[in-house]
Amino acid sequence: MAVITLPYKYLERLTRTDRKTILEKIPLIGSDVERTEEDHADVEFFPDRPDLFSPEGVARAMRGYLGIETGLPTYPVKPSGISFTVDPKLASIRPVLGAAVIRGIKFDDESIQSIMSLQESLHWAVGRGRSKVAIGIHDMDTVKPPFRYIASPRNRKFVPLDYTEEMTMDEILEKHPKGRDYAKIVRDFALFPLIVDRDDHVLSFPPIINGERTRVTIDTKNILLDTTGTDKRAVGFAVNIICTAMAEAGATIESVEIGGMQTPTLAPAERVVSVKECSRLLGVSLTAASMAELLRKMRFGAEPEGADTVKVQVPCYRADIMHDWDLFEDVAIAYGYDRLESHPPRTFTVGKAHPVQVNAALAREAFTGLGYLEVMPFTLTNEDVLYRQMRREETRGVLHVMHPISIENTVVRTELLPLLLEFLTLNRHRELPQRLFTVGDVVLDCRTHQQAAGVSTHPDADFSEAYASADAVLHELSVDYTVKESADPAFIDGRRGDIIVAGKTVGVFGEIHPAVLNAFDLEHSVAAFEFDLRAVPGYPAL
Amino acid sequence: MHVQTGYGCKMAELTQNEKRLLAVLETEKKADAPHLAGLLEASPEAVVQWAHLAQDKGFVSVERIVLKEFAYTDEGIRYAKNGLPETQLLRFILPGTQLADLQKHEAFRIGFGQLRKKGLVKVEGAAVTKIHGASTDADESALKNPSAADPKTKELIKRGILQECETVRYAVSITPEGLALTKKGLDLREETGTLTRDQILSGSWKTANLRHYDVSKLPKKAYPGKIHPYERIIAEMREILLEMGFEELYGDIVQQCFWNFDALFQPQDHPAREMQDTFYLRETIPLPPGYEKVKSMHLSGGDTSSTGWGGVWKEEKAEQCVLRTHTTSLSIQHLAQNRKPPVKAFAVGRVYRRETIDTTHLAEFEQLEGIVMDEDVTFGNLLGILREFYNRMGFTSVRFKPSYYPYTEPSLDAEVYIEGIGWIEMGGAGVFREEVTAPLGITCPVLAWGLGVSRIAMLRLGLKDLRLLHKSDVAFLRETPSLRKSKGGI
Repeated sequence: MAVITLPYKYLERLTRTDRKTILEKIPLIGSDVERTEEDHADVEFFPDRPDLFSPEGVARAMRGYLGIETGLPTYPVKPSGISFTVDPKLASIRPVLGAAVIRGIKFDDESIQSIMSLQESLHWAVGRGRSKVAIGIHDMDTVKPPFRYIASPRNRKFVPLDYTEEMTMDEILEKHPKGRDYAKIVRDFALFPLIVDRDDHVLSFPPIINGERTRVTIDTKNILLDTTGTDKRAVGFAVNIICTAMAEAGATIESVEIGGMQTPTLAPAERVVSVKECSRLLGVSLTAASMAELLRKMRFGAEPEGADTVKVQVPCYRADIMHDWDLFEDVAIAYGYDRLESHPPRTFTVGKAHPVQVNAALAREAFTGLGYLEVMPFTLTNEDVLYRQMRREETRGVLHVMHPISIENTVVRTELLPLLLEFLTLNRHRELPQRLFTVGDVVLDCRTHQQAAGVSTHPDADFSEAYASADAVLHELSVDYTVKESADPAFIDGRRGDIIVAGKTVGVFGEIHPAVLNAFDLEHSVAAFEFDLRAVPGYPAL
Repeated sequence: MHVQTGYGCKMAELTQNEKRLLAVLETEKKADAPHLAGLLEASPEAVVQWAHLAQDKGFVSVERIVLKEFAYTDEGIRYAKNGLPETQLLRFILPGTQLADLQKHEAFRIGFGQLRKKGLVKVEGAAVTKIHGASTDADESALKNPSAADPKTKELIKRGILQECETVRYAVSITPEGLALTKKGLDLREETGTLTRDQILSGSWKTANLRHYDVSKLPKKAYPGKIHPYERIIAEMREILLEMGFEELYGDIVQQCFWNFDALFQPQDHPAREMQDTFYLRETIPLPPGYEKVKSMHLSGGDTSSTGWGGVWKEEKAEQCVLRTHTTSLSIQHLAQNRKPPVKAFAVGRVYRRETIDTTHLAEFEQLEGIVMDEDVTFGNLLGILREFYNRMGFTSVRFKPSYYPYTEPSLDAEVYIEGIGWIEMGGAGVFREEVTAPLGITCPVLAWGLGVSRIAMLRLGLKDLRLLHKSDVAFLRETPSLRKSKGGI
């Protein structure tokens, strides 16, 4: 999520209304006010609306929503006469380039702050940490066009931003903080992307670092924007979002020529949408005129075309409009969610519990009848608890997560009993007897099924109690079972039984082995049992 | 100390034993516990116990008398019989006694040292003589009749001949109230604690003197077996949804990325799909038939008005398995298999996010999700369903605001008002994008909504730490009542 700082004075000037009105209504266009300070507010916007990641963009949207200025904002662009060439060798490295000239910025303004933080937010939201899109901002007057975007040998030297000495590009990846942060994006290429001017001065080594030469200072008047990446559309939106935000701040935008094309144009895209489809989706009855008006409130150009269609001009900065329904959401926002008629659908349907949950509820009933208390352990655990402390072999089909958060959460549980013993450890200081059970999911070989387990601890807990309790629960669940001597090392020899259903072992009960009690730091004997709920009649084949 | 019987209720009235004690004291007035024990044919300890109980009721008073006494050590016992070693030697020394003779005496080692220390003998050459008037009478007297005030006694204690010990004696006397009670007459019939089968059948219960219990004292607590308070909240939500006509879903925790992300139109380079947010597994599952439609939707928007995400879409990425990050992976598969309207389904299940665990974040938590697919269902219907669900949960004020989820459009967040806390975000919802439904051949709109169950549980159970839901204190489980005193959903 992007949290954007909105300085009140700047925001009020741009929106042309007071802060109270703005802050009150701002959540209604899709945001959360994180905090309000004396001179600014921090507001969180959703990642699909990078056009709102600057005070200029927010003001533009709020002017529309508050009815101060509606319809499509237009941004005139004239050619700068500047051109870029793109080296074909970049095709497999970082092929896409976007650029623009931004003139007439006053740098003591909030706008400079705004463009810097917008650049960072875009790197995060659109640029996927600079891999998809990276943005460079340069003092235009320190370099001379035409510019070349080239694939350069890695030993090419230049002075990177914040340094005074020349370094090779390889050294930058190794030594410069930004180089280290983003090295992984380019490291594996034989040649590195580089932007140079007529005299071979380095502007930027995208997506890593700019050159020191083009550093933006308080005296900078004109900006050259470079945007490189791997995705044409994303690069285009990044350029459009920055240019239109700067235009809102009072700058003029000029296009550059890249591969014979003038860019950016900042021109809107067009969509023709159905009024009926929108009405049906939202559950309100709209006319072409009312829908167009709502869209204009959201800063779209919109004109009715006949009774059922609206021709929409989508501003060039709206990266989120991929589909007609994206426009319908804006119609709903402009209409107001709280004004929508809300009633449940009228179709008759019948509720139906899942058989697995029905059985689980019956198992819970049997356990609680025996005086057992339910616990709900985590499903992520580790091999120590599941196997080593239980003196058991690792269960076949146990799943190891690839990047565990800690050594305590490395596998998905394959049994429940070890986790119940952990609970007894946790509750050693509590009054005995303690009888605990759990019913829940275990995972083997990517497949999930339910098991049930119970433990009872007190000085007289024994085999007979385990047998009797297991029998009671199994009986309540109509499981026809037989018992044979078990070899489960978690239990005491001669005091353990396997639960057999249709020739298959589906569970075990008995007295927990003292070495297991020691491993779990338990002081009293434990009568325990666990069984697979797939043995219960009616458990569905999943 | 209270007399505990059965579940441990203290008797409200006098027990049989207390009455017997009072009856004896009526004539004795005041007596030692051992004496009373003799009269009552009980141990002195029992008598003291009964006396204390009667004292609590004001009928007797118990006096605790601590006596300091002296006792002989094993050594002291011998000396009391034979005299102190120095006395024995003194008796042995006659005029002309040689030191060598004296050394043969068994008391020499201790006795001679004492004599020298006390200056009662002189050694001149090989001869030992008594000083004039030498006597150990005072020491002997301290041995026979020790007294705390006598320095000689203290010395004998120091020498390990005498030892000091305390004895506690109890004297029990009857109070005027007690006397008044005995004057009224005591019922000394045998008391019945547990009613026996024999008494019930024979009819002797009619004359039995059934012991009374003290109703003001709770006995040892009994704890029922019960389901977890969190499970109870889940059960409540399930019940509401079943009542609202939803069918329940249940399914695998392990999902391939295809159903967890791709089928939900989440682009393959979406941050939520990164290793640091999702638990990946080494396992893979082959893609289902018809996956190409999903692929083409991602690349170009398929046959819809969508542009798609563009970029690249890799089969390997879609085949990889993860621990499901939401139960939407179940909903979408259910829809793919049930394309005929209406479909109303929900699931409550554990979902996984690779989060650092703290008091408000867990790496696994329960999510509840519902979907409604039908001809002509609307975004307004979605708000209606949510309002109904939250109202039934006890939240009377519900409001909605715009939100963003990658697979729904329009999207919303629902907030409920809780007295004393304010507006709280309770869940997200939206209409499945056409990019999600079209590749699966679903032609009706699908309303979908989800909420974090643990958030409600935390508020309702007053927990400060979410982990306690899963690593519960048995005392907390025992003390949390099954019936919640509800107040506006919390």
